[in-house]
Amino acid sequence: MLLRTFFLRPVRRRPLRFVTTVVGVAAGIAAVVATISASQAAVASLREGVAEIAGRARLEVTAPAGVPEQLLGRLRPISGDALVVPVIEEIALVPTLGDAVRVLGVDLLVDAQVRTLELSAKDGTPLVVAHRMLTGRGVLVPASLASRLALRAGDELAVSVRARRETLTVAGVFTPTRFASAWDRVLVVDVALAQELFGRQGRIDRIEIVPRSGVDEAGLAAWARRLLPPSVRVEAPAERGAASSRMVRALQFNLTALSGVSLFVGAVLVATTLATSVVQRRTVLAIARSLGSSRRQLALVVLAEALAIGVLGGALGVAGGLFGARAALASVRSTVAAAVRGVPATAIQLSPSLAIVGLLVAVLISLAAAALPLVEAIGTPPVQGLTSERPAFLRRPSRRRAALLAIGLLALAAALARAPAWHDLPVAALLASMALLGALLVSASPVLDALARRTAGPQGGGGAGTPLRLAVAALAAGRRRASWAAGAVGVAVALAVAIGTMVHSFRATVVDWADQGMRADVWVRPLTATTGVQVGRLDPEVVRTAERLFGIQVIDPFHTAEATMRGQPVTLGAGAFAVVARRGGVSFRDGRDSRDVFATALRHHAAVINEPFANRFRVNEGDTIRLRVPGGELVRAVEAVFFDYSHQQGMVVIDRNDFLRIYPDDGPSELALFLPPGADPATARDTLLSALGGRFLVEALLNKELRDEVVRIFDRTFAITRALQAVAVAVAVLAVLTVLFALLGERRRDLALLRAVGGSRAQVAAVVAAQAALLGLTGAVGGLAIGLAIGLVLVKVVNLQSFGWTLRFLPPWSALAATALLVTVACFVAGLAPALAAVRMHPSEDLREEG
Amino acid sequence: MEIVTELRSVTKRYRRGDELVNALHDVSFTLGASEMVALVGPSGCGKSTTLNLVAGVDRPDEGQVIVCGTDLAAAGEPALVQARRHCIGIIFQAFHLMPHLTVAENVALPLALDGRRDPARVDDLLRRVGLEHRRSHFPAELSGGEQQRTAVARALVHRPAVVLADEPTGSLDSASGAAVLQLMDELRRQEGSALLLATHDESLATLADRVIRLRDGGIEAVL
Repeated sequence: MLLRTFFLRPVRRRPLRFVTTVVGVAAGIAAVVATISASQAAVASLREGVAEIAGRARLEVTAPAGVPEQLLGRLRPISGDALVVPVIEEIALVPTLGDAVRVLGVDLLVDAQVRTLELSAKDGTPLVVAHRMLTGRGVLVPASLASRLALRAGDELAVSVRARRETLTVAGVFTPTRFASAWDRVLVVDVALAQELFGRQGRIDRIEIVPRSGVDEAGLAAWARRLLPPSVRVEAPAERGAASSRMVRALQFNLTALSGVSLFVGAVLVATTLATSVVQRRTVLAIARSLGSSRRQLALVVLAEALAIGVLGGALGVAGGLFGARAALASVRSTVAAAVRGVPATAIQLSPSLAIVGLLVAVLISLAAAALPLVEAIGTPPVQGLTSERPAFLRRPSRRRAALLAIGLLALAAALARAPAWHDLPVAALLASMALLGALLVSASPVLDALARRTAGPQGGGGAGTPLRLAVAALAAGRRRASWAAGAVGVAVALAVAIGTMVHSFRATVVDWADQGMRADVWVRPLTATTGVQVGRLDPEVVRTAERLFGIQVIDPFHTAEATMRGQPVTLGAGAFAVVARRGGVSFRDGRDSRDVFATALRHHAAVINEPFANRFRVNEGDTIRLRVPGGELVRAVEAVFFDYSHQQGMVVIDRNDFLRIYPDDGPSELALFLPPGADPATARDTLLSALGGRFLVEALLNKELRDEVVRIFDRTFAITRALQAVAVAVAVLAVLTVLFALLGERRRDLALLRAVGGSRAQVAAVVAAQAALLGLTGAVGGLAIGLAIGLVLVKVVNLQSFGWTLRFLPPWSALAATALLVTVACFVAGLAPALAAVRMHPSEDLREEG
Repeated sequence: MEIVTELRSVTKRYRRGDELVNALHDVSFTLGASEMVALVGPSGCGKSTTLNLVAGVDRPDEGQVIVCGTDLAAAGEPALVQARRHCIGIIFQAFHLMPHLTVAENVALPLALDGRRDPARVDDLLRRVGLEHRRSHFPAELSGGEQQRTAVARALVHRPAVVLADEPTGSLDSASGAAVLQLMDELRRQEGSALLLATHDESLATLADRVIRLRDGGIEAVL
């Protein structure tokens, strides 16, 4: 009965407010679910893909530069207890797909016992397929990819391997028995063909060990370790996936945290709606109290409404999030592919647990947001006490208390921003951002009150100013709800400003870095995937061709390989120090001239390290580092630390000649060409490409093209942040709409009175629209200030703690001002609907006397 | 005597559910400058409807409502606004003050809406209604009588030709009601405004120059 009277009927009579709130919560949940789904899909494919593709293998033997083939022979003693299989796993590009694929090279004769792939019956018997694989550069293609590229057995498939154009023949189409998404982008070839394709003669990427039934894994691992040299690792396949997932964990955490702010705005909207609904039904609640309703019953009414909003908003949000995730996946794929080597998934699957979590979060957020309205509802006196009650707006907020609370939250934010990372995650810094948002919300009510005090009443002047002053007075009178709306706008603007500042600072820093650091005239690299990320390496033949054409003194091939530092994977890079020492072009943290740095490093066999490495391992200029590399340990003094925004796991760069003494020449990941003064880069590019002929699929970019490409990839990577900004702003505008309609309902008589005492329709509309604009403006100004502070935390703390990058703090002032203006205008436009409703009111009805 | 308000054969109907109710039927009367006319009759007889029509917040279905020379029944919105700004002052039974404006701000409201500013006039009226010391208070901080005195000052601040008062003492105790009525009559005489008073209290009507008795939407008698 109570629920029907106080919740269902009002919702039926005025469904718009309820619906907008549900939509607001749904938008927040959708943003979170979409971001988590997309990033989980992209990341999970790297992690789960490892486990799935490893099949029944429980141990694997790996080494930084690959495992020498002869180690297979050393493991012969364990063959009675386990199956030992060689594997090569590399990345290649399928130009017709525009995307990277994993190429899995396996021993076809024994691998069926490790991985179960169901071959299509149409392609012939397994023996026929195996024959094609072994004799005709055959490849097995997953059914989903075959369908997408319209491939059948016998068709040719062009791939780019180490930038070399290669043609394979489809030997058969397979269907994975489970986890189809893990196999979505995997091509299977014979291990010998993989060795040929990737230049791994005599080496394989890993040896997988599958224990036979009943064999103790730990004992087997210990036995294998005893048989093998100490430079190789024997570990569970999951460890390899874990290393990848660690690298993207910070990325995922930050994206989720950002989407969480949309949810925060949604919570403010729920609180606004519930508070409004309680205030509007205050008289009715008071009558109910007089007639015997307990406080508990009134609390149940509020909680029921919050629950309904949470459940409906959560369900809609989870569904919306699934669609949003598809849109977000492209951006997240680019980001993840840039962070780790691999092939992120292309399909989204909403996990039931995420759906349940989304629903629960919506309910919890709604119930938490109901706290203050709940206090107001149960504090409603019986109707006899209501008339003698002092109006809420006469109870001046304790400005000192609010100011102290705001200052306390700001101090807390400052302290948290200085706290170190928690397990490599910027948890304290993000809590600092939350404290800043809290300060914004706390100060909204006294700010509105002060605004009203400073603005004289209607006698302060005439004409156009009167509606504005009346609007300020009305907002101050309903400031409890108005402050929620201003707070919601403020939070949304703060989010937009913070992200905008972070992205702009990052972008400007990267552009500067590219301008200073990218001095070569021509860059040559393998074709990139549609994600913008480079796939594989350049064949050494490309280097030799360039050296023949232009001379060794202008060629800087840049190699990368895997090494470990204190047990953690890092990238070991190598460049031609002698070439860079002549031309320079890298920004060093201590401001030294890069030519001087490289010349000294070359003389002393020293290394340069990137900033993420320096931060991750707390290493500085002059320190000595020890890396585990094939064949032992590499000890180098650190000559200098350079800024780098492309290798977040940390990179050490040594001279190429030193590098090639440790690692086999698998080809560089890119090649820079420093032409003599006066030479035409475009002509040089044409000369190189024509010398390479059609044999290699490479991109040769001129200096400006590469710098433009860097910015293009950057923009695509951060595209998702713009969507999150839009969601937050939309939710904030909904909050303003909710409050305005509520204020309109509350102030019907006042507006009717305005008409009766000489106010025109335009003035009445102006009063309502001005309230909307004022809410927007107050929120926008507060949001701008707090957003800049959060931006500072993101730029100076979160990025450093998450990725080890030092960025300059460069707010995009004009864009920020435009954002604040846009939000204010959006609120004003949103206010036109209630303004129109106010104009359509009939004063005679609203002024009808009781009794 | 100059006629400041005239109703000519005014009919007003309301729809209540499926039923069409005649709130006023063929009502005609005039109100002279500085004259006080009382509309009396039981609840639902059409008193408030008449006042709403004269205030220009409602329109008749038939007939003319001429206030200060303007037929409000045919006037467009700008003319209605001008009539309310310059010619009409309203006092309600429930005071209807803006709760978030102070006493002085409430009184100044009609001037402000017209783009005018006259603090001296506001102060003068506040002094005359005895609320000078309450000028910065909000309505919720006033007694009923004080609130209605504020409403009286507001109704007169722009020197209207006609003041409309709808049961102005209905929410007050008898002593406060009598005091407010006396003040209202005194001030409007000083200002030269006509007063159209709607009341179901026959004793209040004794102050009026003329009494129009309404019943079931029609004029029963003019006394």
